[in-house]
Amino acid sequence: MALIELRDVTKTYKRDAIEIPVLDRVSIDVPEGEYLGLMGPSGSGKSTLLNLLAGIDRPTRGSIRVGDTETSSLSERALAGWRARNVGFIFQLYNLIPVLTAFENVELPLLLTNLSKTQRRDHVMTALGIVALSDREKHYPRQLSGGQEQRVAIARAIVTDPRLLLADEPTGDLDAKSAGEVLTLLQRLNKEYKKTIVMVTHDPHAAERATRVLHLEKGTLVEQTPAAVGG
Amino acid sequence: MKFIGLVLKGARRSKRRTLLTVMSVAIAVFLFASLRAVLDGFNAATEASSSTRIVTLRSTSLFFSMPTSHAEGIKSTPGVQDLTWANWFGGVYKDPQYFFAQFAIEPDSYLRMYPEIELTPEDRKAFLDDRTGCIVGDGLAKRYGFKVGDKITLQVGIPIYGTRDFDFNVRGLYKSGGAAVDNQSMFFHWKYADERSIQPGQVGWFVAQISNPDQATQVATAIDEKFANSPNETKTDTEKQFQATFVSMFGNLNLLLGSIALAVVITTLFVAGNTMAMSVRERTTEIAVMRTLGFPSSTIFLLVAGEGLMMAIVGGIIGVSLARLIVTPDLMQAGAFIPVFGVNNANAVMALLLSAGIGIFAGLIPATMASRLKIVDALRRVA
Ligand SMILES: Nc1ncnc2c1ncn2[C@@H]1O[C@H](COP(=O)(O)OP(=O)(O)O)[C@@H](O)[C@H]1O
Ligand SMILES: [Mg+2]
Repeated sequence: MALIELRDVTKTYKRDAIEIPVLDRVSIDVPEGEYLGLMGPSGSGKSTLLNLLAGIDRPTRGSIRVGDTETSSLSERALAGWRARNVGFIFQLYNLIPVLTAFENVELPLLLTNLSKTQRRDHVMTALGIVALSDREKHYPRQLSGGQEQRVAIARAIVTDPRLLLADEPTGDLDAKSAGEVLTLLQRLNKEYKKTIVMVTHDPHAAERATRVLHLEKGTLVEQTPAAVGG
Repeated sequence: MKFIGLVLKGARRSKRRTLLTVMSVAIAVFLFASLRAVLDGFNAATEASSSTRIVTLRSTSLFFSMPTSHAEGIKSTPGVQDLTWANWFGGVYKDPQYFFAQFAIEPDSYLRMYPEIELTPEDRKAFLDDRTGCIVGDGLAKRYGFKVGDKITLQVGIPIYGTRDFDFNVRGLYKSGGAAVDNQSMFFHWKYADERSIQPGQVGWFVAQISNPDQATQVATAIDEKFANSPNETKTDTEKQFQATFVSMFGNLNLLLGSIALAVVITTLFVAGNTMAMSVRERTTEIAVMRTLGFPSSTIFLLVAGEGLMMAIVGGIIGVSLARLIVTPDLMQAGAFIPVFGVNNANAVMALLLSAGIGIFAGLIPATMASRLKIVDALRRVA
């Protein structure tokens, strides 16, 4: 059984009286341990799809199952709890909290758990170790480079050890070198730590790292292999 | 508890705005506590008034006097045990800005009837024995550095006392043993002022001691009836009503002070509420990120509301502390009619509760705004 199962997911936005169709009967299966790339032109619905997977938005029609959970039918509160336990989200603009240090940013999701202060410290330092930023725990986001900020954001995403990592254009704002580091890191998380990853990207180089790439166009899917994308 | 750190960090984000909110609450609470202290002073003076002392005035006003001959008539009224009298002197010490109350009293009977004026037996005797002696409250003494043995010179404030300055010898410092007497006044011999008066034998008010407080009204009526249809008609009231008459000379203070306090509190609510709403709007993305990480909207609500509450309470503590430091009988330039009481514990607790109330109400809308945020919309706003 696939870890993620999207069935006929449709999403329309209402602006005033006009309905804007964004996703049209999208069905995807993501097996456990897959590193899935999502590509497509701007406005094709990639972020919308990722947000639905993350449980921060709800489909207009269709169903979304992750593991044993039918997320599309959870209450707001239950969905928040589900996100905290199961999803790590990585944003294009890192979205670290500027008044918190790297350590405190990574600790944030752990404040929702029952872990003790010492246990939280262990988890945070482990996560910072994985992204190779243990020595930056006391730095504030403005004291870090973009690449470092994104690695802190990745540490924040993995600190609760979720099975699913979702990344929305994680290298979209980075220079080539930093982007390479972030992509290598994601690949390691997939291979070594067995995280299932869904990554939205513009960048064909980024997509190359994925084990499978899907193309979204005007809200519908076109399946391709990584080799076909490269060209 | 682990969220306290987050609340503190949130408040430190925009230091200027946090300072503005804290200070506006501090000022509101300071004003509230100070105004209450003034009201407390009035009420305490009225409450502490003796119910066995009744005061006789000229019926027309506090500022007209009566002949000493009234003393006989009052004293012979059934129910009256003892009698004393006093005049308002209204002298000027150095400069009108150094205002304090001076009373010309009939010393023996006055001290007998006002045990609230606490003097050592030696000072009492020294005062009674010196025709130009005076006693001053310890609060007043502290304010101007008066000591026993000092000479105080007062210029005449009311023309009836002629034009020559009055010299007094400080014979004692009294303590106030009850709110009916403040510690900011000066008392001296009625005779000394009367000798120089161009219209001698005049009394500002008589105070009669009655045996039974339940008879206060009857005795008062009996006194006033004696002088009815005379050129010097009187109006006799209990000391409590007399205090109230003093207070009413300042208009309806309760209402006035109450409205000022209310206006200040409402303004503060808007200031605090608006700054908090601004900071929530600025943090839209952050809040959306925290919600994405799994923070429930109820927690977001509490974080924002908690930040407001904390700022308001800090402001409240500052305001109350300042009021406690500044609004004291010794530091305030208290006049005769405005007994300053200081900020008591009940007042401080009320002021702190008020600050908490401001914090809660001001935070309600911003916290609701923050918790109702739609995550995807908030995230899109930056991208
Ligand atoms: N909250 C929203 N309200 C209205 N329209 C939206 C909203 N989110 C996305 N859209 C629209 O849906 C379409 C797809 O958006 P998005 O999923 O962000 O595309 P992509 O990430 O592929 O660039 C766009 O046309 C966008 O304007
Ligand atoms: Mg997008």
